[in-house]
Amino acid sequence: MSVIKTAGLTRRFGEVTALDGLTLELPRAGVIGLVGPNGSGKSTLIRMLLGLIAPTSGTAEVLDEPIGAPGRYLGRVGALVENPAFVPGLSARANLMSLARLRGLPAPRVDEVLRTVGLTGRDAEPVKRFSLGMKQRLGIAAALLPDPELLILDEPTNGLDPSGIVEIRGLLADLARAGRTVIVSSHLLAEIETVCDFLVVIRFGHLVYSGPVTDLLARTGQRIEIAAEHARDTSSLLALLAADGWQVEHASEDRLSVTAEERQGAELNRCAARGGITLTSMTPVRGSLEEIFLEMTGTSDQDLTAARAAAAERKAS
Amino acid sequence: MINTLRSELLRTRRKGVVIGWFGLTILFTVMINMVMAQVVGSSNAQPEGGPGVSFPTLDQWQAADGITAGLSSAAGMYGVVALSFWAIVTAGDYSSGLIRLTASAQPDRVKLLLGKVGALVLWTAAVTTVALIADLVIAPVAARSADLDVSAWGRDALPTLAGAWFNLFATLLVWGVIGLVLALVTRSAAISISVGVGYVLVVEAVITAALDAIADWTPGATLGALAQGGTSAIPYGTALTLGALYTLLGLGVALVVFKRRDITD
Repeated sequence: MSVIKTAGLTRRFGEVTALDGLTLELPRAGVIGLVGPNGSGKSTLIRMLLGLIAPTSGTAEVLDEPIGAPGRYLGRVGALVENPAFVPGLSARANLMSLARLRGLPAPRVDEVLRTVGLTGRDAEPVKRFSLGMKQRLGIAAALLPDPELLILDEPTNGLDPSGIVEIRGLLADLARAGRTVIVSSHLLAEIETVCDFLVVIRFGHLVYSGPVTDLLARTGQRIEIAAEHARDTSSLLALLAADGWQVEHASEDRLSVTAEERQGAELNRCAARGGITLTSMTPVRGSLEEIFLEMTGTSDQDLTAARAAAAERKAS
Repeated sequence: MINTLRSELLRTRRKGVVIGWFGLTILFTVMINMVMAQVVGSSNAQPEGGPGVSFPTLDQWQAADGITAGLSSAAGMYGVVALSFWAIVTAGDYSSGLIRLTASAQPDRVKLLLGKVGALVLWTAAVTTVALIADLVIAPVAARSADLDVSAWGRDALPTLAGAWFNLFATLLVWGVIGLVLALVTRSAAISISVGVGYVLVVEAVITAALDAIADWTPGATLGALAQGGTSAIPYGTALTLGALYTLLGLGVALVVFKRRDITD
């Protein structure tokens, strides 16, 4: 059972192709991360799923309904798209009441979502006095109003303080445990790695990866960082391991980084012992999502701009 | 559609809209009555008006329906205010990004737009009422300052007031719909208001000067005639029909634009 299914989904804005034949299937229940560099097509995808823009070609289904008929599923979808937008002169409660009325929801639902995001007590204040974090909480409250089966959140922890981030992280996990699907679009990859079970990576409107976060992390070569008991033995240890066929390099002056899986620790230890060196520490290190992401998508905006220009040139010729 | 109307009414109930719209309406009512007292004078010659303003003659002001002459004289000015507020409320949804939230909460864009139009129509009715009440307070003061004989003003009060209210309301409604269309097309309140005001002040005068044949069909002339209950050039029935046509055409364009265009930034 998939919550979202797309086939060849394409959207062009004049000469620019924001999304290029995207085909993916996202599982129901759980937290799904949607990542990609700026201009990769994330926002375009979200807007299409919410019926705000129409695809140039291709098809997509949300909650088993075609995106051409958003009225059939948007009552079961909550969303926070880009920055939370409200009427600044109205109170938080009035803003939520206005959205609740629009959806035909009863007034007590507003109290429930205010409580959920921790804004009870501040709800009578006009939104223009709210900090970015409070606006963000209000945006999440608005997204929660319809008690959604599918929640789409764009940068949900933007502007939140550390305790707020932990709260929202807990809220997303609770929703996922309750069988809801939460799609989180974010640039905070450490956050995505912590919160998400499933990941979608988009670059230049193309799908780069779609699958469990654990599978992606497992793709990176694991390493073990080791240190000899005496720092002066570090160079000898490096030579010893290299001679034994290990791929090894300096991690720092007195630490070595060996390409090896965690279970190969004992072999490493025996190799060092054969050379009369005692290891004082052995730390398995796995590549972070951030490293993998940069490897897949480019390291900087300049890289991306250059790559996009090259791609456009190739297409033109 | 009732849900979208209720939602829109809650959002448009904000202080800035109420004070701005009602305040400007009262200000224009005071201004037009005071200026009218100065320019109409004691002769029965037709005083010179200006863009969006056409003053009555002395006889017309002293007639039974003269108490509401200020409303019809300044209909163009009220119209610009109505156009501006319809445009601000509509374009504001785009500039604030609120449109993304509302369109994803209510995907039926026809309902969404009709709810907004419904709320703005109710506001327009409220503003028309405020203008009428302000006129009833200010007009006698202005008349007294010009030593006007207003003994006829009490006659047929109810039909006079009802007629003036309806004519101004219908006029403001058409102006508002023009503001709505401009805001949906340009997605900018500033551009919409500039275009609207520019049209009233400059474009229509140029069109009328260049093409005399269509002078009686232009929105400004039609709405001026509608507000006055008809003129010698444009009878009331014609003005009413043209006003209804402009409204329907405007709403049609607004619906097509709002339904078909993407909601991007």
